Amino acid sequence: MIGASVILVESPNAAVVSNAYGFYSVSAIPGKYTLVVSFSGYNSDSIAVNLTKDTSVSIALETGARQLQEAVVTAGRNNNVSKPLMGVQKLSINEIKDLPVIFGEKDILKTLQLLPGVQSAGDGNSGFFVRGGNTDQNLILLDEATVYNPSHLLGFFSTFNSDAIKDVTLYKGATPAEYGGRLSSVLDVKMNDGNNKEFHASGGIGLISSRLNIEGPIEKDKSSFIVSARRTYADVFLKLSKDSSTNQNSLYFYDINAKANIRIGARDHLYFSGYFGKDNLGFGNTFGIDYGNVTGTLRWNHIFNSRLFSNTSLIYSKYNYDIRINSGNNNIGITSYIKDLHFKEDMQYYANASNRMNFGIDVIGHTTSPGVITATESSSFNPLTLQNKHALESAAYFSHDISLFRRMNVNYGLRATNFAVMGPGSFYTYDKEGNAVDTSIYSSGKVVKNYFNLEPRFSASYKFNSGSSVKMAYTRTTQNLHLLSNSTSSNPTDVWIPSSNNVQPEVADQVSLGYYRNFHDNQYEFSSELYYRDMRNQIDYKNGAQLIANENVESQVVFGKGRAYGLELFFKKKYGKFNGWVSYTLSRTERQFDEINRGSWFPANQDRTHNLSIVGIYKAGKKWTLSADFTFYSGNAVTWPSGKYEVNGQIAFLYTERNTYRMPAYHRLDVGATLQGKKTKKFDSNWNFSIYNLYGRENPYSITFEQDPDNPAKTRALQYALFRWVPSVTYNFKF
Amino acid sequence: MVCLYSCKKTVTLDLNNAGPHIVIEGAVTDIAGPYTVKIHRSADFYAENSFPAISGAAVRISDNEGNTDSLMETSPGVYTTTTLQGKPGNTYTMSVRVQDTLYTAVSTMPFPVPFDSVTFRKAGAFGSKNIRAVSNYQDPPDIKNYYMFNEYINGLLETKDIFVFEDRLSDGRYISRDLRTEDDVMHEGDEVEIQMYCIAEPIFNYFNQLDQSGGRGGAFNTAASPANPVSNISNGALGYFSANTVRVIKTKVHIE
Repeated sequence: MIGASVILVESPNAAVVSNAYGFYSVSAIPGKYTLVVSFSGYNSDSIAVNLTKDTSVSIALETGARQLQEAVVTAGRNNNVSKPLMGVQKLSINEIKDLPVIFGEKDILKTLQLLPGVQSAGDGNSGFFVRGGNTDQNLILLDEATVYNPSHLLGFFSTFNSDAIKDVTLYKGATPAEYGGRLSSVLDVKMNDGNNKEFHASGGIGLISSRLNIEGPIEKDKSSFIVSARRTYADVFLKLSKDSSTNQNSLYFYDINAKANIRIGARDHLYFSGYFGKDNLGFGNTFGIDYGNVTGTLRWNHIFNSRLFSNTSLIYSKYNYDIRINSGNNNIGITSYIKDLHFKEDMQYYANASNRMNFGIDVIGHTTSPGVITATESSSFNPLTLQNKHALESAAYFSHDISLFRRMNVNYGLRATNFAVMGPGSFYTYDKEGNAVDTSIYSSGKVVKNYFNLEPRFSASYKFNSGSSVKMAYTRTTQNLHLLSNSTSSNPTDVWIPSSNNVQPEVADQVSLGYYRNFHDNQYEFSSELYYRDMRNQIDYKNGAQLIANENVESQVVFGKGRAYGLELFFKKKYGKFNGWVSYTLSRTERQFDEINRGSWFPANQDRTHNLSIVGIYKAGKKWTLSADFTFYSGNAVTWPSGKYEVNGQIAFLYTERNTYRMPAYHRLDVGATLQGKKTKKFDSNWNFSIYNLYGRENPYSITFEQDPDNPAKTRALQYALFRWVPSVTYNFKF
Repeated sequence: MVCLYSCKKTVTLDLNNAGPHIVIEGAVTDIAGPYTVKIHRSADFYAENSFPAISGAAVRISDNEGNTDSLMETSPGVYTTTTLQGKPGNTYTMSVRVQDTLYTAVSTMPFPVPFDSVTFRKAGAFGSKNIRAVSNYQDPPDIKNYYMFNEYINGLLETKDIFVFEDRLSDGRYISRDLRTEDDVMHEGDEVEIQMYCIAEPIFNYFNQLDQSGGRGGAFNTAASPANPVSNISNGALGYFSANTVRVIKTKVHIE
């Protein structure tokens, strides 16, 4: 259990929180104590302990009904006030299960976008922006493995099956020193371990997709497994069509999460977790694409003694896509992948009740295959293999968490990273026009260039009283993998490139300041955070950049700066028959490139001034739970014409500055209702109904410009929307 | 419910008016002259599609063989050559003087690539089956070639698409390439004329960028940042000056 609160009632200073693997360490002078463990959504447990020497106590909590009245144990409820970490959002699966989501699929990524500082990339787009950063600046981890494309079906679903997920933490401000590799945020998703006492099967059947989850002990109380799978079947309906141009189309995804864990003795715990997912889109045999992520993590936790804990992991991660085109004389195939092999060692040392140290190392070998094109004799295209790129990304970190004077908490740390660009390969340098002027050839294992960076991390909090605190943080982050995407919607075929002799690491410095206040015995939580982030070596594209199958893709980019700042306000009612939250972000994010917009600062595409989310969940009696969420955000910055002219008999549009216009605002209300179904000791079920976009607003997906077909002497602007009302029904069951 | 192409509507936007910009379009080809240079101004987005001609400009085209032609304004904004003959391999320089500003551009005419044939087939994305023309020709190996096509259906220029192609991924291949149109514009028996141009790299870049910024492709045209295509004419003029070869095939639409 992650983040469970453990206190010794008689010694209130001895209060700790369990780590990512459920390990906790609490120090006190010998004596008799009552150890109390609590975690939101579970019944607390208290155990009498007689401390004479180092003692190991393992506790399992039972799920309990949400407490409607305030209970005696309130430890853990004011974590948002007392912990120094700021810019952190934790989501438990309990919280998201009642929220209405498009197509009825519970989705942690969609729920995250209802929190302050996190913006959705829009309808039909995967990805999200954190504090004005780009979609590739979020490090997305599933049991420590990087997920390169966290979306299915062009963003309608995420790759995270909530049945398989235990816990989700988003770091957007004070990122701890143990994480690195992306500028804006870290999304740390931990998989469920599986019930090690009894077998359970659960799942859901919906209009568009279904899922099944099976978990249970391998050896009771010692080891367990969990397997979750799901598949969409929108295309099953296509197959029913008599029209051959429709019934040969395919549109589906499936994914499988699996995890097994074994406790060996009192000090060791072994885990294996894996994910496999695949999306398939196809139009008859003229066009097909499939893509997906594979991850695997082998982890060993070892408890040296009551103070020292170790986590050793070996991780594999791969994202690939495969395209087949069969059109006229053109039979071509295109494949591409990015693959990581990753070793990390993390240690946690609980020196005493006020001091905790984390340190460790991290080494990742990256290999990208930017594209292999295969073609038949009669094809209009040549076969082509773009050379693979290799890099070794290593880091060492140290951090120290100190509690001072019962009111202050300080966390300081340093992460030292080195990114080594490796051979084999040919490395080019380019002139201003993008022509290769120099080629250097390196053999396998030779280092082409090293980028060494120090990333200090610092955060501090000061508690005025048990209900309010102020926090501040400074972090520096760097990023050496960059996603090239010249379109407003992310494509599964966007190219990841590593830093190289031409492309330098992106670097960001962020400062943040926050004030936190809990009310009514921690029933209400309020937080406000102010942030400013400075970014260097940001990437944009030359006019007409050729990003596809281009060996010289590094000549197509330009480099510049960015800055983002904002205010995030969050108010949450955590307990009771009615609960929910309001989140509001006021922000700005801008970029500057010498080659673009005459070198002037311009708003980034994802700059949205206002972002408001309101979520409400109401438990109406024993059978029904009602929920609603409302989202509003200002439109993206866009570049629209300021005139038109004619060239080659066609109307062309005249553009002046970049991103001076705004799309219309986006707003949407979703409602949902869950009806408790048959429930016995062995079986539980419910029906979930939801309507996405209740008032059917045509939220603009894109606006394009063209000659008016009804009046060819004029031009018009055409707005496209993707979704109006989307109802859905899902039946959920659990054995 | 889920829109997929059906939720579209015209919207009126509050667009700025950038003021008139000068647009120059000039071409020298390897078929018999005369050749024309058109000079107009741009218009506001919500104005009529009539672009004011610029009269009284001094327009000259010269080649690297020492020939110079002073163009005559034969109709408002349209300037025509009298003696100039286009030859593949030659470099042409255009100069346009409007009031006090001089606009110049240089273009070298590539060597012609034979245009074998035009065939037709039914194809389309998302299950639609519209008739399209297919251009067939052999790309010369080891040279960078850039192509552009204009398609005339029953005498009218097809203006909804831009057809440009480069041999970056196809060097030395026999090219059979659709002149792709997603609309139902071509029918059995239509008179079709395809003009194939071998163009210089800056002209390919110009039309390629124009295609990307053009807002074509319906809902899914999501080029992140449209911009004016880079012109080979100096001093901020919009438009282009191209020296290109021309090969023409006239045929009737028929599906084998």
